[in-house]
Amino acid sequence: MENIIANLNKAFESRIRLGIMSILMVNDSVDFNTMKDLLELTDGNLASHIKALEGLEYIQSSKQFIGRKPNTRFLITELGRKSFRDHLNALENLIR
Amino acid sequence: MEKQIEDLKAIREMMERSSKFLSLSGLSGIMAGVTAITGAAIAYFYILEQPRAVAVPLLILDASLTLIISIGFGILFSVRKARKRNLKLVNSLTRKIIYSLVIPLVTGGFFSLILISRDQIELVAAITLIFYGLGLVNVSKYTLDEIHYLGLTEIVLGICAAIFLYHGILFWTIGFGLCHIVYGFIMYRKYD
Repeated sequence: MENIIANLNKAFESRIRLGIMSILMVNDSVDFNTMKDLLELTDGNLASHIKALEGLEYIQSSKQFIGRKPNTRFLITELGRKSFRDHLNALENLIR
Repeated sequence: MEKQIEDLKAIREMMERSSKFLSLSGLSGIMAGVTAITGAAIAYFYILEQPRAVAVPLLILDASLTLIISIGFGILFSVRKARKRNLKLVNSLTRKIIYSLVIPLVTGGFFSLILISRDQIELVAAITLIFYGLGLVNVSKYTLDEIHYLGLTEIVLGICAAIFLYHGILFWTIGFGLCHIVYGFIMYRKYD
């Protein structure tokens, strides 16, 4: 049992980070505002979780300008995809 | 244990909510079907009795009105459903959906107009069914699974309409009328 729990990724303990990763698993890239609406979060709250996931190199951002407005888009990295998949498997094994 | 189950539920919900348009209402389908049957009845009992020169512009008008009214009901019920479930109707997903639906539909529309202008009106029922079906299959990856099967059904009916050329309006009425009502009802029972 302990072994299985060890496979759970601490980074995904928070429901918000879980949400960010889930969204990026099934979309090529998602911009900040869409992400905010989907997760029903405030700017600051989302930004801090994004920063944490970026720090782990699970997601990456690209900043573009649409006219003068900056538009930040996020996408999942290979490492992020693999880590999330492992976490999902661990979750499934736990409830089996 | 509880937390793990809740986590999995949240993952599934976020994946669906971010990649699928779930505000589509079964009522839209039912109303589109009723509108199509009305449009087809007007065409069959009134317009097709007229001389060809009058009938063709009237048919185009009839078809356009049917389309506009159906889309209108579609938008109306989607707005209502989105509001009820607190979802946003217009987002990057909606743009993807419109894009993948518009290409086959506009192609089919142009093709139909070309056929009409060449006086080959018999094939129009088949062409509209086939291109509409292709559009639905194309868009179904972004929305409810039923749309995929509705699309396949429309394609098959379109091919039948081309084979049995002089019963085109019958297949058109089944495809745009009956199928919309049946699928709309199934979707309404399942999701609304």
